[in-house]
Amino acid sequence: MNTDSGETPAASGSLKKRLRRDLARVPLLAWLWGAMAAVVLERFCGPQLADLLGLPKVPVLFGFLIILKQPLLIPSTVVFITLIYGLPILLVSRLLARPANRLAAFLLQGPLAVSVLIHLAFFYGTLHLWSDMSAYRVLTLKLTLIAVMLTLSLNVINGYMGEFSCSHPAFMALGAYAASVMTLAFFAKDKQFGEALLPTALGPFMFPLVLVVAGAVAAIGALVIAIPSFRTRGDYLAIISLAFLFIVKSLIENLEWLGGPRGLSSQPNYASLPTVFAWATACIWIINNFVRSTLGKALNAVRDDEIAADAMTVDTRRTKMVAFLFGAFWAGVAGGLFAHVLRYVNPGSFGLQNLAEVLAMVYFGGLNSVYGSIVGAVSLSLLGEALRPLELFKWIIIPLMLILVMIFRPTGLIAFREFDVRKLVQPKLNPDHEV
Amino acid sequence: MTFFLQNLVNALQWGSFYALIALGYSMVYGILMLFNFAHGDIFMVGAYIGFGVATGLTALAAMGMLALPNWVILVLTILISMFLTSFVGILVERLGYRPLRDAPRASAAITGLMIGIILETGNLALLGARRVSFPSLIDSVTYNFGGVYVTNKKIMIVAVSLALMAALHQFVSRTKWGMAMRAMAFDYVVVPLMGVPLNTIAALTFAIGSALAAAAGILFGVAYPVLDPYMGIVFGWKAFVAAILGGRGSIMGATLAGFLLGFIEIFVAMIFPSTLRDLIAYSIILLILVFRPHGFFGEAYSARLRL
Amino acid sequence: MALLQVDHMTHFFGGLRAVHDYNLSLEAGQIRGLIGPNGAGKTTVFNLLTGIHTPTEGHIHLDGQEITGKPPHRIASLGLARTFQNLCLWRHMTVLEHVKMARYSRISYGLIGAFFGTPKRHREEAAIEAKAHTLLQLVGIDHLADQVVVNLPYGAQRRVELARALAIEPKVLFLDEPTAGMNPEELVQMMEIIRRVHAEFDLAIYLIEHRLKMVMELCEVIQTLVFGEVVAEGPPEEIQTNPVVIEAYLGKEGVESSC
Repeated sequence: MNTDSGETPAASGSLKKRLRRDLARVPLLAWLWGAMAAVVLERFCGPQLADLLGLPKVPVLFGFLIILKQPLLIPSTVVFITLIYGLPILLVSRLLARPANRLAAFLLQGPLAVSVLIHLAFFYGTLHLWSDMSAYRVLTLKLTLIAVMLTLSLNVINGYMGEFSCSHPAFMALGAYAASVMTLAFFAKDKQFGEALLPTALGPFMFPLVLVVAGAVAAIGALVIAIPSFRTRGDYLAIISLAFLFIVKSLIENLEWLGGPRGLSSQPNYASLPTVFAWATACIWIINNFVRSTLGKALNAVRDDEIAADAMTVDTRRTKMVAFLFGAFWAGVAGGLFAHVLRYVNPGSFGLQNLAEVLAMVYFGGLNSVYGSIVGAVSLSLLGEALRPLELFKWIIIPLMLILVMIFRPTGLIAFREFDVRKLVQPKLNPDHEV
Repeated sequence: MTFFLQNLVNALQWGSFYALIALGYSMVYGILMLFNFAHGDIFMVGAYIGFGVATGLTALAAMGMLALPNWVILVLTILISMFLTSFVGILVERLGYRPLRDAPRASAAITGLMIGIILETGNLALLGARRVSFPSLIDSVTYNFGGVYVTNKKIMIVAVSLALMAALHQFVSRTKWGMAMRAMAFDYVVVPLMGVPLNTIAALTFAIGSALAAAAGILFGVAYPVLDPYMGIVFGWKAFVAAILGGRGSIMGATLAGFLLGFIEIFVAMIFPSTLRDLIAYSIILLILVFRPHGFFGEAYSARLRL
Repeated sequence: MALLQVDHMTHFFGGLRAVHDYNLSLEAGQIRGLIGPNGAGKTTVFNLLTGIHTPTEGHIHLDGQEITGKPPHRIASLGLARTFQNLCLWRHMTVLEHVKMARYSRISYGLIGAFFGTPKRHREEAAIEAKAHTLLQLVGIDHLADQVVVNLPYGAQRRVELARALAIEPKVLFLDEPTAGMNPEELVQMMEIIRRVHAEFDLAIYLIEHRLKMVMELCEVIQTLVFGEVVAEGPPEEIQTNPVVIEAYLGKEGVESSC
């Protein structure tokens, strides 16, 4: 960065332009390295720097919490964030842009999967080092990843298919309870289900299977709605799915062997950060694959003009059923993870408030867009955490923001954008170096 | 038999609340083809405004500045609160729905949900988390009709509700504005071209719906004098389901389905343990909707979710 | 039996008789026209034959197979493609995606391929894409392949519909007013494209058209529909001079041509 100001003192107006052009050449890989450097820096120098600046401890969530709680500490927080995150990320990613570009280009000569996996490894490393600093970060991160899965799976139904489903919390509940019952009965000693039926050591290895079954249970629940709903179009699904949500919730409340209103607790600690990360990644990958295939695009055709889709050989009913069950499956998996992250689950977690949150994430981020769902889920989850010190007013600010987004961008911030992984990981070469 | 009749009376009272709220949902749907998901919270706001008005009036009466019998104060409370709450409805329409008239309907639904959250939280922020109790304006008198006990409050609640519904029916079928509303419900794209102002009609619809919800809120306060900011959620969503069951856009349907929902709930609770009430009630509704997708008085779905 | 054989098809909308005793035998490679005044039931005939409505009475056979009452997507994948009078395009999809979508019923990679992006899927999608580009070249809009359809001019949108219908690889192609709203220049181009398509794929084409000039030039046989009933059928010269047609279609005065 200092080279910019040193070299061209006359053209200070073009500094911003220059900076922007420079940064446009930084590939994702370099950004990841930059982030990693920042996280490592925080790990080794964070506490000392916080001490020096008079902060009580290392700001846990990029300083948002501190700023709202103790406004007097704003200057030191800003300095801390700039020194630990801002500058290192900018400097490292800019300095390493050239080798990163070369490496990215080299990697892309092989299969795309290798390149993506290497990016993911760096990304995970960064997240791991970042969250390692406090239990709060780990929990926030896990819940955010689960929110991404939920949002994305609801976007398949509400965005890509253009229906309005209200039963996502119900699918999540089905998954959460199915997974909890399985792990508690098979792999844990529990007051509700007695001794473990299988060796406890097997548990972590069987957990993926448990989650798949949990997803399947949710999908079976979805079938109950799908069969009557997809005969008619319009907002019929919205109402049926809403009734279904109430039914599932009060059914669970009434089943004593599921703990009734008290719920189930002390699920085994299987949902570690790598597990949740791996599932979230798999969810994004599979859903993105689906919506970009012609079979998945059929959803858009059905949404935009069902009669035309039918006349063009698209089996509209099957398409809708598949997508609905698919969305429900992922909601069920997310629910299973959710139960094992909190290690506690009760019917109260799956009500209208939960519905409002997921819907907000989908519509805030953007319909018909994997990017949008990721952005919506991450930003609203983090915003929810960051505004926590405001207590009540958080629930005025977030809804107001959403209303504004709806008024100015009715389909959400990043709607109708394709999520092209190749574009994401490819090197950002200098245009005049290219032939 | 007396047991049955006793529950019938309770069901009538319970159904009145649902029917009054459901009317608001149904009317808005009829005109704008969208559900006002903030309506349940307007019911809550109405109840609180009623609380404020009633407290104010009784305070005036206690200071001797207002020499009126209690029942007149109650009638005044209902009328003033209905008037005030209708402005809340107009405000919600103006700020939350009008800017989204051409947007996908799902976006408007989200806006409605968010306005609801703001109303709840706003209430919490203004009045704090404590529950407030509605001033008791009329003393409870219980009549015994051959073993069936009926309080004067129940009679009053059902009578006022029926009177309001009858008034609404007269308004919609007899007046110029009512006719404009019906025309708009028929087609809100073409009718404005005939010189009927869509914005005015939409605002009017929200105002009437909100006023009815306010009446329901006060009547609820008379029967169960404890108010809390989240009371609108349970009632709102149930009344919403009733509006669907009646057939969206149908005033008659919403009224009947509101009462039906009251009956289902009370009689389910009469036969089964009360914890099963929601489960069975919603299962019955789900079944009805599976076999009658358009509700009792609904038209076939022509509407599509536009993106 | 003809390629598309319709026997005694009658349809009621409630109490209204929309189509009465309609018969058709469309031979392979033939171009036929369906004309008639507004509201005569031409589009209803198309909707009945393509399965959007199920006829109250009568039988429809495509290539010897009974298709009466089958859902539209089944009928379409058996080889009956159509375009729509008032453009039924998917507003958020690109031109290329439109054409690819019509290959839906022939996709064999299944859900596994869709979810996991198997090599089979990539091969198949690539093949579909190549095919789509060929068709887009044929109708002359390949340069617009990556555009979202709503951004296109009207004439191009009509061509998208045509290319999309052709991607089904139909035996029979229904065109519902393919030149509606086009200017004379676009009209000539469209006629040229229809001729080219007919020659290249050896299709049977059945078209509804208001511009008599076009029907007369293109079609071998013309049916005239009035109030849901066929009042005349024959080669263009015969139809042109048929007094019933002139009275019903052009009015009693008898106008030269509406185009």
